[in-house]
Parts: sequence; structure tokens; C-alpha cells
Amino acid sequence: MTINAYTRIAANAARTTLAHRVGFVLGTFGATFQLVAMVALWTALLKRGAYLGGFSLDQMKAYLIVGYITGVLGTALGEQVMSDRIRSGDVAIDLVRPLDYQGMRFAEVLGGMCVEIILVVIVGTTFWMVAGPVSAPAQPALFAISLVAVLPIKFLIFYMSTLLCFWTQNYHGVAWARSALSLILSGALVPLALLPHWLQTLSNLLPFASITSTPALIFAGRADPGHSQELILVQSAWVAILWFAGRLAWRGAVRQLTVHGG
Amino acid sequence: MALIEAHGLTKAFRRPDKAAGLPGALKQLVRPRFTEVNAVEGVDLSIEAGEAVAYVGPNGAGKSTTVKLLTGIVRPTTGEVRVGGLVPHRDRIANARQIGVLFGQRTQLWWDLPVRESLALLRDMYRIPAGRYQARLAMLDDTLDLGAIMNVVARKLSLGQRMRADLACALIHNPRVLYLDEPTIGLDIAVKDRVRALLKGLRDDGTTLMLTTHDLGDIEDTCDRIVIIDHGRIVFDGGLAEVKDRYARERSVHLQLGAVVSVDELTGCFPAAAVTVGDVDRSYTITFDKSHLTAGQILTTVLPLADIIEVRIDEPTIEDVIRRVYAGDLVLQADGDAG
Repeated sequence: MTINAYTRIAANAARTTLAHRVGFVLGTFGATFQLVAMVALWTALLKRGAYLGGFSLDQMKAYLIVGYITGVLGTALGEQVMSDRIRSGDVAIDLVRPLDYQGMRFAEVLGGMCVEIILVVIVGTTFWMVAGPVSAPAQPALFAISLVAVLPIKFLIFYMSTLLCFWTQNYHGVAWARSALSLILSGALVPLALLPHWLQTLSNLLPFASITSTPALIFAGRADPGHSQELILVQSAWVAILWFAGRLAWRGAVRQLTVHGG
Repeated sequence: MALIEAHGLTKAFRRPDKAAGLPGALKQLVRPRFTEVNAVEGVDLSIEAGEAVAYVGPNGAGKSTTVKLLTGIVRPTTGEVRVGGLVPHRDRIANARQIGVLFGQRTQLWWDLPVRESLALLRDMYRIPAGRYQARLAMLDDTLDLGAIMNVVARKLSLGQRMRADLACALIHNPRVLYLDEPTIGLDIAVKDRVRALLKGLRDDGTTLMLTTHDLGDIEDTCDRIVIIDHGRIVFDGGLAEVKDRYARERSVHLQLGAVVSVDELTGCFPAAAVTVGDVDRSYTITFDKSHLTAGQILTTVLPLADIIEVRIDEPTIEDVIRRVYAGDLVLQADGDAG
């Protein structure tokens, strides 16, 4: 049966992720451990009804579970695969495909995400049962939209930092720098409200906050409906800006391409 | 206009100029130095639809870079290229629809999925109608024996199976231009023969072929034209038969005789040939130009001098000619004599 080629790429990517399930599950185990540790830490900090940065323990738990979900999504496939292909020169094969490069990579990452969602649901449910119920999101529709918007933003940040490999021929340095920035400025480590003022300002200027902070605040009920809509608008703006920036970056990157040896 | 047209195609790469050791590495860090290297320099090519062209040259000569320029993977530093009226690096996607590419050293298969899935994706990419797809698969199955590997995960394939699957991927959409870069590298003789038969079939069907290879056996039956590139420049472009006729005229007759005959005596019999003594006792090699002498004449001349115990005749292959070109011993000219 003939289907859209990008859909087929996503399906193949999902199957590839399943083929690598052991490594993938182990990686998620690490992230889950982090979640459990953070919940324990915040439970200690916020005992007996204390508040920090306006967060109650219940809201903090909700914030952390969303942080976990947005942290796991999009990591199974994509970045590593794409940078390996650039360094090894296999990107040459991607370039003789009658498809858009950015679209192919996005389809691949989305395919991997389908499998990740299964895992996230399992871990999330377990968390719910072990760590005690977290109140359901106050604005479920807005939360769902903000979560969906995370996917392209996360992909595009990966995509553009990986394109730097065309110049650096090195992936680890770029990935380290990006994940350090992302950890702080997305609000994955602590909510942005707890950061010093200058870091908050910086995070307002960069797209990272749209990845974790936005859906987490909406889920935890730390943003009222008006503010939530504003945050989602910011997310949409980032999707558009980053998508076109990605196109420009690709145009520059492909000029740099040198494929040696066969 | 020819189907593939390239004019003054040049691709320059920057290569870091590092001095030896740690000081050299630090120096490079502070003030990087680069040398411009022309992987391909001033290449002019014109290939008509339906032509089968062998593109050969020693390692690092610029063969693969040329293919990457023609397929739109890299853009030329200077010069122009058009394939079927399209500029490959500018109209990359449109160009990709009309070409098939095989890089023998790389695979386009999905490594963790059965071969079938990689082919199904290509069907969707090129929007091949179901009937045409099935017919094409059946055709490829005949020569590449795909049936046995369709359901095998790519990473479990042997090299020969992998290459067969990759060939199927390059051919599934029936491209009008086919670039094959080392299609038989690492293959055993049986698979090589099959691949060569397939290439011949494609040429007969009118597919334009550009074949890059180190194994000149690949081109003998398939290609009519040979282009030789060295140090990024084209050093020869002409008919394959013509090259063989003109430059592969040398024959060697190896004889083992029943009695000792002196080299001088033999040289006296064949003034136009070179006579050398072989490793084994009473063995001689007589090398001559086939237009001046025949093996038959040599045998009838030697027979009165001594019994002939063994005879072996060596005919040069296109490979020998190319080897001499690579070594710089021979300069080929499309119309004229060897220089």
C-alpha cells in the first residue's frame, strides 16, 4: 500500500526504536531515577505545607512529571543518528532522496516519539500510583496543545545544533553545550521562578522555556487561562521562527558539506 | 544538449595544515592554517542519453567527488553541471527523482528493518504505482535473487546480499540515469558476475550508466566509453575498444623448451621482440607487438631449435593498460599515438 513517504519514514523510525528497545529502556530508566530523586528532594523541601517560589508540593510533583515527559520525548532517535550520519558521510545518501531533508528528520523523530509515548504512559501511571495522585491539569485542552508544541520545538533545537556538525565535525561538544543550556533555561532543573533575575530574562529570550516550563506550568495550574494562552502563543511563534531558521541553517550547512572517501 | 553536461567543474576542499605533535596541534588551534586542495579540477564531461561510461582512476583521483557533484550532494566551487536540464545541487529534489545512486561503500538500507521495508519506503518516495512496483521487483528478483533476502533484517545480511539489496534500492524506480560507485567492491566472483549481467541488461534497456570502479572487469562488458581521471583532471576520454586496440597490442609467449637455447640466438630470430629468461630452467618469455608478429610465427621459428614442452600466451587486459597509465608509463590520446 502506498502511503505518504514521510509517514513511512516515521513508521520505520518507530520500528527501529523498538528494535533498540533495550538501550532505549535503560536510558529511560536513568531519567526515571532522576524523577524519583527530584520528587524525594522536593518532598523534603516542601514538607508540612511549605511553599517555594509559589509552588506547593502537589504542584511541584505535577511540574516534575511534566518535566520528565518533555525530557524523555524525542531522545530515542534523531540527534545521535543524524550527527553520526553527518560525520560518517552517510548524509550523502539522504541527499539523493527526493524528499526535504528537514522534513525527513522531523518524521524520524516523530516516529521515535510514538514509541516513547508508550513508555512515558507506563512510567507516568506507575508514578501516579507510587508518589500519590497528582491533581489533574486545570486546563487539560491547553495543556495538551502546549505538550504537542513541545515536539517540533525540541526537534528544531536538536536539528539546528546538530547542523553545527557540518562545521565542527564534532557532535559531543555541541550536544553538551546545548543540554547544559537547556537544563537550566527550560526550567527542567528547577522552575524558572526560582532562578535569579538575569537567568529568567535570558530564558525569556530563548526557546528552551517552551520545552519544559510552559507545559509544566499549565499542568500544575501555575498559569491562569490567559497566561497559558499567551505562553502557547509564544510556543507557536518559536515553532515558526525555528522552522524557518532551520531551513536557513540547512542551506548554509549543506554548502559546508565535504564527504571524503567513497 | 547531452543528458549530462559538465563544464570546468572544480571542487576545492580546505585541508588543515597541522605541524607534527602537540605543538603543531596547539598552533593549529591558535592560528589555523589550511591548504586548498582541488579534488576535481576543470572537469568537462558530456554524456548522451543511453551511454554507458566507465569512470576510472587511482585512489583519491576525484572519482567519487565527481559523482557527488553530478548527483547534487556537493556543490561545485566553480564550473557548471546540468543533468537532464537540471542543476543538481540547486534542484536537488527534482534531480533525485530522475537518478539512481549506489555508493558501494555505504548502504541505503534501514539497518534494523527487513529489506522489504527499505524498498517499500522507496516505492512511497518515488510514488511508484503498485503494478509497476511489483513488475520491477519481479524483474530485479530474477537477477538479484531478492526473494531470499526480502524478509531479512539488513544488519544480518552478508556483504554480497547487502550489495544486492542496495542495487535493488538504486534501481527500483527505474531511473533514467544511474550512478554506480564501486558496485562490486568486496563481492565474490559469483555475485560479481550477476551484478555485471544486470548492468549489461540495464545498458541494453537504454539506461544511462556512469560506473566508477577499481575492478576493470566490471567495465569490459558493460561500457563503451572510458573516462580516466587522475589528480582531479581528466586524462583520457574515449572508446573502450579503441583503447584496447591501440594500447593493448602487446602479447607475451612463455615457452619451456626441451633443450637450452641461448637468449642471443632467440633474440636473433625475433629482432622486433624482447626475449627474457624465465625462472624455471630452459624457460623463456618473448614479448612482441601483435601487429608485427604472431604467436604462430614464434612457435614455428622456435620448433627447429628445440622441443617445446609448454606454451602459455598472455594477452593484456584493459587493466594492464590502465595500470601503465596510473604509473605514468603511458599517456593515452583519444586520437593519435601513445606518447
